Amino acid sequence: MRSLRVLVCSALAVTLILMQSSPSMAESTIKNPSPANMRALVAQKADDASVTPQGPSPARELPPGGTAIEDLLLQKGTITMDEWIQIRAEQEYRAADQARRLDSIEEWKYKTELLPMLRDKVNFGLNALQFLYGHIDAHVPEGRSQDSFSIRRSELLFWGKISDVIPRWHALMEFQSINLTNNTPTVGASTPTATTFFRETYLDIRPVQSWAPNLNHFRLGIFRMPFGIFTETSGGLRDVISSPYLTSIGGGGGPGQNAKGTGGAIEFIQERDYFVDVRGKIFNRLEYVAGMMNNNNFQANALVSTTSGLGGANQPKAFYSRVRLFGSDVSFVSFTTIQGESNNAGTLINGRGKGVFDRYAIDFRYTSKIFPGFMVQGEWWQGHDGANATTVGTAANGACQVIALCGGSGAPGMQRRTYYVLAKYLFTDGPLENFEPTFMWEQFDPNTTMSNDLYTRTIVGLTYYFENFPPKIQSKVQINYEFRHHQGLGTGPGTPAFDSRTDPFAQNAVFVQFQVRFM
Amino acid sequence: MKRVSLMAAMLVYVGLSACSHSQIFPQEVMEGVDPNFDFSRWRMLPNQAAGKTIQLGGRIIQSESREGSTTIAVAQLPIVEHPAYGPKDMGKRSDEFAVSYQGKIDSAFLQRGNRIIVVGTTRPAMLVSIDDVPHSLPTVSAKCVHIWMTGGRDIADFPSFGAGYETLEEQTFCASPQ
Repeated sequence: MRSLRVLVCSALAVTLILMQSSPSMAESTIKNPSPANMRALVAQKADDASVTPQGPSPARELPPGGTAIEDLLLQKGTITMDEWIQIRAEQEYRAADQARRLDSIEEWKYKTELLPMLRDKVNFGLNALQFLYGHIDAHVPEGRSQDSFSIRRSELLFWGKISDVIPRWHALMEFQSINLTNNTPTVGASTPTATTFFRETYLDIRPVQSWAPNLNHFRLGIFRMPFGIFTETSGGLRDVISSPYLTSIGGGGGPGQNAKGTGGAIEFIQERDYFVDVRGKIFNRLEYVAGMMNNNNFQANALVSTTSGLGGANQPKAFYSRVRLFGSDVSFVSFTTIQGESNNAGTLINGRGKGVFDRYAIDFRYTSKIFPGFMVQGEWWQGHDGANATTVGTAANGACQVIALCGGSGAPGMQRRTYYVLAKYLFTDGPLENFEPTFMWEQFDPNTTMSNDLYTRTIVGLTYYFENFPPKIQSKVQINYEFRHHQGLGTGPGTPAFDSRTDPFAQNAVFVQFQVRFM
Repeated sequence: MKRVSLMAAMLVYVGLSACSHSQIFPQEVMEGVDPNFDFSRWRMLPNQAAGKTIQLGGRIIQSESREGSTTIAVAQLPIVEHPAYGPKDMGKRSDEFAVSYQGKIDSAFLQRGNRIIVVGTTRPAMLVSIDDVPHSLPTVSAKCVHIWMTGGRDIADFPSFGAGYETLEEQTFCASPQ
């Protein structure tokens, strides 16, 4: 800045000296202020380095005809040469200043363009922030209430694209995931082991671009498993508040595990797991996925020794595959299977025994184009759990049905079955605009060879969307009333007593949930 | 031997079918489309190539529906076959053009960021206001448009959008014959 001033003063001084030393020249310049002469006059001279300023040319607006106002004023003798020089000096100073500012902006632009967030390498969003009020009619222990406020989900999502070969990395943090999960020891008492703060972490590898989408990518990590529809639907986009029975049922103060395999908590299919799979789409109609998973839920990472690599996390692996046939861009029918073995010792999934493990499923979704806003979907699942299925934290080791020897529930291997149908309609105009009534009916049979053990639930819900631009934005309030019924724990000798008053799955419930989602 | 030949033929058919994307526009709409259309030149001299049948892809910047017609301002993107068929953002600055469509399009499909392919004929430039600044944009009079509701993401980002599985809604709209 100082050098600029010095230059300006020097230029003025030199000009004045020249004018004084050769008055005839000055006079002729004033008397004959032709444009050519005007161009020869420079009021100030900047540093040589700024001779070629970047950016647009100096902001000197010339009137029609190409003569500036100060030139005209000088020509008419309204202003003196000194004043003309002063005006020009100010103009040139402003132009130099503008060029300098543009240089600074260019420099910042270059820097910011390199920021990972602006190159799609890092993104973050709020997958779901959910505040939940719930009321369940079931009897509760002393000191507890039937009413509860809670944070259902507090999920932040991070993702990005590294390159065409690694088109996505992904990490999801569940900040309300603070409870330690017990392990399932072979004998003795269980101990609170660990949980994972992160719920999802995976990366996609697309080895050959030209193979996509037929062979789209390989996926490695932990994520929602491609089992049917609900399992893979993000918590921030679900149409009902409760998870379906196919992912979790039983427990919660209700009857515990028993030798008939009808009680205790059961996670028929886990929502997340550690896996490696391959995904693609052919004919733009047939989508497939096939892979291998750990088969021990999302906490399994906590049980792996990072040095030896051994630990309780490594259940016998299971193969899975799903084929999805699209009737339109948003309507489909799909078939899923999971095949492998399961173990009760070391498991982090409720209701798994030791032995052959399989699942078969068919699901469908119809999103109407004729009747916009209407959607119906359903899933049907069936599969075997091995013998001596246990709940997480209860010691178990082996398939024998003698609890004194093998722990566990003492139940033989059993086939379980569940299905649901969900329908909804979104009003897109009129006084009910943005309201969405929802209806869901489901049934879970923990042991298909046993009667009088069915769980059934009917959910009637109403959702109001404050903002609804799925899949990116969805802020809504949901109210669900659940009509729940649990027949009992089976029939025949040895059937445990069943008290529906303490079983939350036999008592109606109401939930109200407020959600924000933005990414 | 007969069975092996049949299986081989089926595999070839599957392979060939899998390698070609499904046709999104009717055959008669695609007739006469100039495969070597120079977008940059047209952008510079929009009035010199009027009446050409072209296909262009891009990202919706802004749209306006008025009296049964829709004007869409689009940032041009190249149409690629892989990893997913459609307009793909290459991370480079792209020029804009306007789409004039005679008909109504559901507003959800006209959200900013959605991907679009248009087939139509070129017209002289029209004045389109983008963010309240008037721009003179070369214009395509659309016969058909195909829109993917990507909401700013690439088509290949689906179905793994967000933290789950999301089907990508897409639809073709064709103007009623004049």
